[in-house]
Amino acid sequence: MKVGFVRVRIVLLMLGVCCMVSCSPEQEKPRPGAKGDKTIVCTVNYPLAYFAKRIGGDLIDARFPGPIDEDPAYWQPDTAAIEQFQKADVILLNGAGYAKWMEMVSLPTSKCVNTSAAFKDHYIDLVAELTHSHGPAGKHAHGGLAFTTWLDFSLAAQQSKAIKDALVKRAPEHTADFEANYAGLEKDLMALDQEMKMVAAEIKGTPIVVSHPVYQYWTRGYGLNVQSVHWEPDEVPTETQWQEFRKMLVGHPSQCMIWEGNPAAEAVDALKAMQIESITFDPCGAAPSEKDFLDSMQKNIQELQKYIIQDSIKE
Amino acid sequence: MKGILYLGWRYLTYHWVKAVILISSITLILFLPAGLRVLVQQSRSQLTLRAQSTPLVIGAKGSPLELVLNACYFSSKVPEFIPYGHVEEVLQSGLATAIPLYVRFHAQNHPIVGTSLDYFDFRDLHIAVGRQMSRLGDCVVGAELAREQGIQPGDTIISSPENVFDLAGVYPLQMKVAGILAFSDSPDDAVIFVDIKTAWIIEGLAHGHEDLTRPAAAQRVLKQQDNVVIGNASVVEYTAITDKNINSFHFHGDPAAFNITSILAVPNDHKGKTLLIGRYKADQATRYQILEPDTVLDELLATIMTIERFVITALVTVGISTLVIAALVFMLSLRLRKREIITMTRIGGSRLAVNCILVSEIVCVLLTSIVLAAGLTFATARYAADVIRFFL
Amino acid sequence: MIALKDIEFQYPKSDFQLQIQALKIDSGQLAAFIGPSGSGKTTLLNLIAGILKPVAGLVQVGGREITQMQDSVCRDFRIANIGLVFQEFELLEYLNALDNILLPYRINPALQLNAHVRERAVALARDVGIETQLHRYPQQLSQGERQRLAICRALLPDPCLLLADEPTGNLDPANKEHVLDILFECISKTKATLVAVTHDTGIVDRFDSVIDFKHFQSVGPVSVKGDSR
Repeated sequence: MKVGFVRVRIVLLMLGVCCMVSCSPEQEKPRPGAKGDKTIVCTVNYPLAYFAKRIGGDLIDARFPGPIDEDPAYWQPDTAAIEQFQKADVILLNGAGYAKWMEMVSLPTSKCVNTSAAFKDHYIDLVAELTHSHGPAGKHAHGGLAFTTWLDFSLAAQQSKAIKDALVKRAPEHTADFEANYAGLEKDLMALDQEMKMVAAEIKGTPIVVSHPVYQYWTRGYGLNVQSVHWEPDEVPTETQWQEFRKMLVGHPSQCMIWEGNPAAEAVDALKAMQIESITFDPCGAAPSEKDFLDSMQKNIQELQKYIIQDSIKE
Repeated sequence: MKGILYLGWRYLTYHWVKAVILISSITLILFLPAGLRVLVQQSRSQLTLRAQSTPLVIGAKGSPLELVLNACYFSSKVPEFIPYGHVEEVLQSGLATAIPLYVRFHAQNHPIVGTSLDYFDFRDLHIAVGRQMSRLGDCVVGAELAREQGIQPGDTIISSPENVFDLAGVYPLQMKVAGILAFSDSPDDAVIFVDIKTAWIIEGLAHGHEDLTRPAAAQRVLKQQDNVVIGNASVVEYTAITDKNINSFHFHGDPAAFNITSILAVPNDHKGKTLLIGRYKADQATRYQILEPDTVLDELLATIMTIERFVITALVTVGISTLVIAALVFMLSLRLRKREIITMTRIGGSRLAVNCILVSEIVCVLLTSIVLAAGLTFATARYAADVIRFFL
Repeated sequence: MIALKDIEFQYPKSDFQLQIQALKIDSGQLAAFIGPSGSGKTTLLNLIAGILKPVAGLVQVGGREITQMQDSVCRDFRIANIGLVFQEFELLEYLNALDNILLPYRINPALQLNAHVRERAVALARDVGIETQLHRYPQQLSQGERQRLAICRALLPDPCLLLADEPTGNLDPANKEHVLDILFECISKTKATLVAVTHDTGIVDRFDSVIDFKHFQSVGPVSVKGDSR
């Protein structure tokens, strides 16, 4: 009898434990975007990462996984970098055919945001060219669409708006913060736009040569008279390139060469001998070594302003 | 009792042909209705589960069942194609997430499903071994298929040509297995997933070949006009995508016009679902149809249930006839054993023992049949999912 | 061993009647019933075995009155105490020789099958010379081997009485003598009483007493008084 009673108690105890275990609440899966979870944003270039960081602040983790010393437009991500994109909550694309590597990889399309979709009808077509090669990225062609949309600061503001909308959709509980931050960024970008317009007004019609065909939206956005060569800042142009340059100057007598990076001193001297000033206007596709996007663009505009002042002194 | 059972067993084993015939017949008439019922029930729950987990399917107008079976179960009957651009249209509506599906090609008999990474989130599929596909030419394999074929990450799978005689059509592409999915007990376990772009490469809408602008490729150039280089027939197209040649792969044409077989639309909310359905239904001229898979499957299941009832009625009728014949066989057997009964009675066998020995034949046959029928029914229940997937 | 008194028996719907005033066969006797067909020999054997019940009279076997026993009790008594050997052997074709010998122990719970019984079965088979055939089925044995097998089955429970109905009826002359030798040898070992029905007058000399039914009409009352030899 005693043994039977003990057995009953053990069975009841086991039943009770089973009930407790089965009734314990399921561990909740973390809800994406829930408070405490940072939204992970991956971008295809530095400007978009900057815009995202300005809008998202500490509420997001904005990353551009590309290398510092390579043009993101021609960067080929490795498997680890692709995985970063795949695991992101939001993937910000530039659009206009930027980052051809996108066609070769698998990304969750629902998380991809084309930041320039609002003005896709105004993309700039490029004349198709045969391939050529330079830099660590290897061979590429400048055919298709122009893609440095952010150099037209009004378009950059539209891209920022698209980023803000994407973040609001992803984490609506932070809408107020995103809106406030976006307003600040938009103000800065439109201020840049206004400054650039004033500079453009000063140099309206003046023939300008750019070292690389990456200023199309800047040219169109600010009504500039620009023609392009294919020179690398860190390389001295070859004799053939000089010949083509001189031929171009006949119809486009520029006194200003805009470089996308710090040019070689020999090239600068050679241009100076031709009465052509060298100005560095960093498109900022990759992260600048010292400043941020805004500072870099302000510096670019200042360089132009300096040139205008010098030019007017000469006159 | 042991002695009686032993004698009954020895009788059956001696007359094994009769026993096997009787047991087979009775097992069949017991198993067929039960097994059919189990199969239908399992089909119903499997189909229903999969259909209920798929909110909406968009495809070309045509057979709704064919579209749903292709989209949800990757059936080999390929519906009419729709353009990939419609995925963007659905996305732009803001009402749903749109997941493209291109279920057309096979690797031997295993379906290759071209889709986007969103599909894996939607179906809650996870990588068990290896990694997710990242580049063109990568694929991930369902758990069951990987187990059956012994596939591991790093292996390669070659797509099969659609038509052996169509040399200019779909050509075999060697795909690299990036990962193996965790078991999900769904049709996803038996297929090969690739990026939608990889599926287009299989179709021949994209390819990679050596750089024709290089001087070394001069003999492969037919002519060069302005900036266009036209290759001759000796240009070799790559059948596998590697790190070295991936950049040579390019698409010809606008991807928005490329084919897919369907779109899985995952509405953001119920209102979005209603609006989305309403848009398609309102536009009579649209070339698309939007379906709720559970509704389509309900119609199919209703038909299956009707057929099942007819079949079971027929089986029961046959079963009664079989049992009558079995009873006749037992009666004849008893008659043949009359002398044996007399002998056992004369030498002193108890009436109970003698009757039990005679009845044991019937009991053994019936019990064995019931056990076999139960076992077959259990096996059907256990493997019904695989059988259903095979026939789908 | 066997005592019959004032037996009256008639088959239903038959004119055949058997009347036995008195019949006594002592223990250990070898008795033969001879006579023409239909004279009641097998009927008497069945009355002694308790397979048939007389309309009137008394049948005693081994001191037990079996006419008043219930059927089930009578069967239990018969399987334990009376061995039966038949003219047609009556072996079960789906059992091998050993299982045929062990049959009585499987069809009545009054007998318990155990290792000792199995050993006895093998020993009996050895005695009658069919030890090497125990795995074979009856249809694989010769006529003589089958009858020897039937004898083993009858003797396995160590009965005090063995009833044999035409034990050599289906045997050729050589087998007949051989089977009879074995039968008598087994009986002599067990000291059982043997009552055999036979047509064969050539073998009656081997029995202690012979009851001849030929003097009686095949239809009409049959009476046996004491020892008729």
